[in-house]
Amino acid sequence: MTWRLRISLFALFLGFFLVILRLFYWQVIKAEELTKLGLSQYGEIRKIMPQRGEILASDSFPLATNKVTYLVYANPKEIKDAVSISYKLAPLLKADDASISASLSQNLFWVSLGGGVESSVRNKIESLKIPGIGFEQEYTRLYPEASLAATLLGFVGKDDAGEALGYFGVEGYYDRLLRGKEGQALQINDATGRPILARTNPFSQGVDGESLKLTIDRVIQFSVEKKIKEGVERFGATSGMVGIVEPKTGRILAMASYPSFDPKTYSQYPSSSYVNHFISSLYEPGSTFKPLVMSGALNENKVTPQTRCPACGGPVSVGGYSLHTWNDKYYPNSTMTEVIQHSDNTGMVFVGQTLGLTKMLKYLDKFGIGKLTGIDLQGEVTPQIKPKSDWYEADLATTAFGQGVNVTPIELLTVFSAIANGGKMMKPHVVSEIITADGKKKTVEPQEVGKPISSATARVMTEMLVNAVEKGEASYARLKGYRIAGKTGTASIPIGGKYDPEKTIASFVGFGPADDSKFAMIVIFNKPTAAIYGSETAAPAFFSIAKDILNYYGIPPKQ
Amino acid sequence: MKKYKILLAVLIVSFLGLIALRTIAANRISTDGVLLSKIQEEMAYYKTENLKYKERILALSSLSNISSKAASLGFIDSKIGFVVGRSVPIAARP
Repeated sequence: MTWRLRISLFALFLGFFLVILRLFYWQVIKAEELTKLGLSQYGEIRKIMPQRGEILASDSFPLATNKVTYLVYANPKEIKDAVSISYKLAPLLKADDASISASLSQNLFWVSLGGGVESSVRNKIESLKIPGIGFEQEYTRLYPEASLAATLLGFVGKDDAGEALGYFGVEGYYDRLLRGKEGQALQINDATGRPILARTNPFSQGVDGESLKLTIDRVIQFSVEKKIKEGVERFGATSGMVGIVEPKTGRILAMASYPSFDPKTYSQYPSSSYVNHFISSLYEPGSTFKPLVMSGALNENKVTPQTRCPACGGPVSVGGYSLHTWNDKYYPNSTMTEVIQHSDNTGMVFVGQTLGLTKMLKYLDKFGIGKLTGIDLQGEVTPQIKPKSDWYEADLATTAFGQGVNVTPIELLTVFSAIANGGKMMKPHVVSEIITADGKKKTVEPQEVGKPISSATARVMTEMLVNAVEKGEASYARLKGYRIAGKTGTASIPIGGKYDPEKTIASFVGFGPADDSKFAMIVIFNKPTAAIYGSETAAPAFFSIAKDILNYYGIPPKQ
Repeated sequence: MKKYKILLAVLIVSFLGLIALRTIAANRISTDGVLLSKIQEEMAYYKTENLKYKERILALSSLSNISSKAASLGFIDSKIGFVVGRSVPIAARP
């Protein structure tokens, strides 16, 4: 009798154990799979897209924000006459009536008819009172100042999965911050799979994107864009660009290119127009490079402003090449101040040779040539500086006057900014503040990245550049009553191993007021045709913009 | 025996009381969901309206709009910069 009881008890326990084991299998091991299966029967997980963060100018005016638009959808099961409805909707949705008709004729419960529809268009569609047509609210990027600072801002396009993705400029560089984190919600469906008109239940809260406050001064940017456009048209250039930085902090005050594009309708422009040439294009700087080499020689005490050039009486022969001045005029025994004033290539060959290759490479490195500036914009490139063993005698000579060496405009602007800032080189940056979705602010502090030259050298170099403005080729365009330091540049364009004799890159780089600089600026015109020299094109544009900035800052003339 | 009866009565009364309380509470909060939903809808509506007004304000206050409006009204860029210097004293001590 006992063994029967034991067997029964064992069978009972075994039965319970098997039931518990099976329950464990369904409840624990298969739980996730079953949850998904159940969910697919009564609802679906829908993404809640976060609002993209805004991009604000320094005065907190949004340069990029979000606007409410609508996705228009239809339930083809409720559409009675697809053809006539498509004729009504096509002009409003700016779409082909055949494609709308085809969408409305599908054997589905939900079809999209188009996104990015404005409120006014939505109202017009609603007034048609077509059954089966609905709207879903969405956000699209709005650029209130249209194409202002477009190459700096970049644009928002779509990635492979159709999600919004920032490209180029600030939108590209700060995409992860701007886009935020998407949330998820459960949409419950009825037995036929149609969504029940009930509030979706969010079970994963998303986070809206963070906003960025830029260092860009909207007033200066607007003025600069106007001036660069006028300049390109006036001088018949293929393109032009201007960059302005605050030397003491490295804050970019304006960065403009012309031609540009409208970020709202970016797809209608050639992809080449998206590129911010200010950080992404290399060019031979020509004479605007001379102050860098001269600063190195002054800093090493190899020359002084009064040092006389013993080889400036005529063309110089180096490594089998005869090197001339830009206008074939020669000034024997000119001082270093006059070498900069006349933009004398032969004088700079003397400076380069006096400085020597090792020191030349040292100062290229200290001034950041061949290194990324680290500006917070997508797409920065940097030239490769040859190793010391690959340099020939002629390379040293031509580099001294800015040929045979490549830079980006931002690199050169950073060099001049360092001279203006007493030798301290600041990291250029465009974002001054990051604002989280809940309003917390994080300030981006200015960052010193080095001190390539001493304060004394910077002061001496500044005086030489002031002299160049007041007595040099561009003196006719200077602002009376202001001490502005600057240098013209007319760079040849290398094509197939030779320089194009007719096409140039005309530029002017400078800063002001020289004694307490509020801005450093570079103006570049690509292949101007009305005049090819920087002194005749970029210089007047530079001083015109400088005048506006000085007026804007309320800086009076001193003389 | 009497104690048990009292205890039983208390339990029954408590049970009935709790049921009544639950019914009343459920009845009261049953419409809160609808109200909450309505409030949320209103919040979404005002948020959308705010964004629409913001869009209009931005369009009207953009420099490109102000500039074109100013030009159409006949305003031109000032070519002269005015500088306000230190005022000359009316009377100075010798």
